Amino acid sequence: MRIWLIIAGAGIVTYLTRASFIVLGDRVTLPPIAERSLSYVAPAAFAAISVPLILGGDGFAGFNEDVPRILAATAAGAVVWKTRNIPLSLLAGMCTLWSLTWLL
Amino acid sequence: MTTPSNIDLSFDRNAALIGMRQTIPLVIPGVPFGFVLGLIVQEEGLPKLAGWSSSWLIFAGSSQLAALNLLADGASAAVIIVSVFLINSRHAMYSAAMRDRFAPLPLWFRLVGPYFLIDQSFAVAETSPDLVDPTPRFRMWHFLGAGAAVWSMWQISVAAGVLIGNVVREEWALNFAVPILFLGLMVFSIKNKPGAVAAVVGAVVALVGRELPQGSGLLLAIILGMAAGGIAEAQLSRRSS
Repeated sequence: MRIWLIIAGAGIVTYLTRASFIVLGDRVTLPPIAERSLSYVAPAAFAAISVPLILGGDGFAGFNEDVPRILAATAAGAVVWKTRNIPLSLLAGMCTLWSLTWLL
Repeated sequence: MTTPSNIDLSFDRNAALIGMRQTIPLVIPGVPFGFVLGLIVQEEGLPKLAGWSSSWLIFAGSSQLAALNLLADGASAAVIIVSVFLINSRHAMYSAAMRDRFAPLPLWFRLVGPYFLIDQSFAVAETSPDLVDPTPRFRMWHFLGAGAAVWSMWQISVAAGVLIGNVVREEWALNFAVPILFLGLMVFSIKNKPGAVAAVVGAVVALVGRELPQGSGLLLAIILGMAAGGIAEAQLSRRSS
């Protein structure tokens, strides 16, 4: 029962976070610089999530683990940049990672 | 805000299908992640149904991962809930970014929609309707289509991980699908120079701040990154005028 309550509590908190501005609407006003900055939530958030995971999510793991990850992410990044295709970049990244891990 | 009762919001099958079609490629890398998450439920000996239910109760991969690991470590309820809140606090910024676009839509949608506001649905909802068809009706059904696609794929992949996750071996490094997904979302979201500034600042602050407790480094990185983007935009427009 305890685990259900904890997960439900975490779920309610998460929902309230997502609902906050959408439900409150124009009852909350933000300063102009914050409004302007909202156009840049997506690049800031997605970069802040991906880059630390690529450069050793759990601290630098050492040459043999970091180098394949960085090169694999570079390959995936190049593919998604050129093709705008995320499944294809996943394929490129995973294949690069597997071959480099096998080689090193 | 009141909704004018005369706008047409009847079901738009085309919009929903476009939303789904645009979201499915973004969901594919989430499948191995969901699978690994389910595997953790199994390996840590957490109750299977409760562990899987985090997928529809919380519905946010990285915070579910943190919550399940903390549960397995015997952390207190307060620590777990605060951690999930911090990891998901970026969703408040997604909410703020979508506010004006959702403002003309009825209250029921503004209550139901945010449940589906996760990284992938935000990524498609923030740009696509503006380009394809910016009417409220299209936007609403496009978002619900995107949400339905990402939601159902997530429930299925986590369930699969809970049930048959032990076929996955660690050396397959399936977790690497997560940074590849977010790298792709980042590339999609950089549309101009200030966007690139936001990404660089976000990445650097996240790297420097990753030892900060319970994901607060990530939150700081997003706030500073978006502020840097906003300041860069202001500087550029001042210079050109």
